[in-house]
Amino acid sequence: MASQIGEKTILRARGVSKHYGGVVALEAVDLDLREGEVLAVVGDNGAGKSTLIKALTGAIPKTSGTIEMDGQEVQINSPTDAKAAGIETVYQDLALVNELSISKNMFLGREIVRDDILGRLFGTLDFGQMDSEIRALFQKLDIRIADIYREAEAFSGGQRQAVALAKTVMFGKRIAILDEPTAALGVRESKMAMDLVRSLKDHGLSVIMITHNMQHVMNYCDRVMVLRLGRLAAVRDVKDVDGDTLVGLITGATEDKAA
Amino acid sequence: MTDMTQNSSTQISTPSAEGSSFAALKHQFLQIWQVLAALVLIYLVFFVLSEPFRSLDTLLSIFGQASILAILACGTTVVLISGGLDLSVGSIFAVVGVIVGIALAEYQLPVLVAVLIGLLAGAAMGALNGTIQVFTKVPAFIVTLGGLTAYKGIAEILASGRDLSRFPESFQMLGSGYLVPMLIMFGVALLTGLFLTKTRLGNHAFAIGGNEEVARLSGVNVRKSRIYYYMLGGVLAATAAILEVSKLNFAMPARGQSYELFAIAAVVIGGTSLFGGRGGVGKTLIGMLIMQTIIVGLSYLGVGTSVQRIAIGIIIIVAVYWDVWRRPSR
Repeated sequence: MASQIGEKTILRARGVSKHYGGVVALEAVDLDLREGEVLAVVGDNGAGKSTLIKALTGAIPKTSGTIEMDGQEVQINSPTDAKAAGIETVYQDLALVNELSISKNMFLGREIVRDDILGRLFGTLDFGQMDSEIRALFQKLDIRIADIYREAEAFSGGQRQAVALAKTVMFGKRIAILDEPTAALGVRESKMAMDLVRSLKDHGLSVIMITHNMQHVMNYCDRVMVLRLGRLAAVRDVKDVDGDTLVGLITGATEDKAA
Repeated sequence: MTDMTQNSSTQISTPSAEGSSFAALKHQFLQIWQVLAALVLIYLVFFVLSEPFRSLDTLLSIFGQASILAILACGTTVVLISGGLDLSVGSIFAVVGVIVGIALAEYQLPVLVAVLIGLLAGAAMGALNGTIQVFTKVPAFIVTLGGLTAYKGIAEILASGRDLSRFPESFQMLGSGYLVPMLIMFGVALLTGLFLTKTRLGNHAFAIGGNEEVARLSGVNVRKSRIYYYMLGGVLAATAAILEVSKLNFAMPARGQSYELFAIAAVVIGGTSLFGGRGGVGKTLIGMLIMQTIIVGLSYLGVGTSVQRIAIGIIIIVAVYWDVWRRPSR
C-alpha cells in the first residue's frame, strides 16, 4: 500500500485557525497530504475535525491560515473554489438532497447543459448524457441502484453513502475529503463504503478522511493525524502505531513526544 | 460497459434519454393522480347535485375563472418549491395593474409597450423581495409581508386622482371571454413546467428547497437563484394583473387583494410542498381547478360566499395536513 504513495505533497495547509467570537474551534493546525495517500483525521467530539475540513474546503471562512496545492498558494473561500481546485468533499449528513432523485443529486451544481441553442439560451439540461455517465460509473464501481430516478431518501444509508462517494470519483480531480463516511452504517455497509474509499485511491485521488473507527484507520489509511481540543496533537504513519496508542493520543493520556 | 463507452455517445444517450423521460412521466403521473381523482370526484358530486352545473358553459367558466389566479399561482409554485414564500404578489398585482392602466389611459402608450412596462415592473418588485431576503437574511415571511403593505401603498399613491379605465380595444381582447386567458394560462403553465423540469435554474429550485445547505455545498449559487425565482413570481403576478385589467377594462389599487393566499392555497391543494423541494405546476393547475369547482359548485347550490370561504379554508388545512402526514421526517 505504501509503495503507491509519492513523496510529493499535494496539499499543504499551514496555521489554519477558526474562531467563533472568543471560542477557539481550531488553532494553528498544519496539514500535509501526500499524493496518493489516505490520511485519517481522528479526534474526540469537538476536537475540530469537521471544522478543519470545512475550513479547508471553503464551507466556512477560516480565521487565518494558508493553503498550498502543488507548492502554489491557493485561495479557497467557497465550496466552488475548492471544486475548481479539484477538491471534492463528502460532508456528513450534507451529501445528498433527500427530495432529489439519485441522478439529479449526482450532477447537482455541475449539470451538463445541452450543447445546442436551447442549452445556450435557457440552460436546458442534457439528461441523457448525465444519466448514461451515471450508469457507466455505477457499473464500474459496482454500485447497485436499481432506479436512479427515485428520490434519494428512498435508499439505505449505505446506498446513499455509495452515491456520495461515486460523486467524488466522478468530479474529484485531485483530492477527496470525507467526513465520517461510515457514520450510521451497519457492518456490511461500512465495508462496502470503505472499499469504495480504497478505490478512490485507484482513481488517482488523494484522500483525507475523518473517522471514529480505529479499525478503519489501521486497515485503510496510510497516515493519521490526531486533533485534540482544536490543536494538532500528533501525526503518525499508521504502520508505526497501534489502536491503543491512537486512543491515548486522542484522549490526551499519551503525549506525543515528537510534537 | 467498457465496450459501450467506446460507442459514440449518441448511441448510448438516445435510449436512456427516452427511458428517462418515460420514467419521469410515470413518476409525475403517480404523484398527480390523487389530486386529479379528487378534482374529478368533486366535479361529479356537483354534477349530480345541481342540474344547471351540468352545462359546458359552467365547465368553461370554471377554467375561465381559474385562469388569471392560476397564472399567478404558477409563480407561487416556483417560489414555494425553492423553499421561499412571497406574500406580496397580490400587491405586485395591484401595482402592475395601476401602472399598465396609467400607461394606457394617461400616456396612451402602445399596448405592447404598456404590457412590457407592466412585466418589467413585476420583475423588479419580485427581484427586490428576493434581494432583500437573500442579503439581510430576514425571513421571507417578514420581507414579503412588508412588501404586501408597501406595494399596496405604492399602488394607491400611483392611482390617486386618476381615472384608469376605457382602454384601447386591442388591449381589451387579451382578457376577454374565457378562451384567451385560458390559452395564456396553459401557455404559462407549460413554460413554467419546462423551466422547472428541463433547465438548470429550474432544477436548482428543487435542490434549494429540499436542502439549501447541500445545494450551497454542491456549488449552487443559492442567492442568485433565489432572486430569479422571486423575479419570476413577480413577472407572473404582472401577467395575471395585465389580463385582469384587460378583462375588467379598468384598473384600481384594490385589485389583487388576498390573491397571494388563494394562490398559495391552490399550490398546496395541488400537492406542492409548503416546505419546499417538491411540487409542480401541473399540480397547481389542478389545485386551482379544485378550488374554482368548489366555489362555482357551491354557488350553484345557493351557498353564499362566506360559507364558500369556510369550505376553502378547511380544504387548505386538510391539504397541508396531508403534506405533513405524508412525510413524518419533517
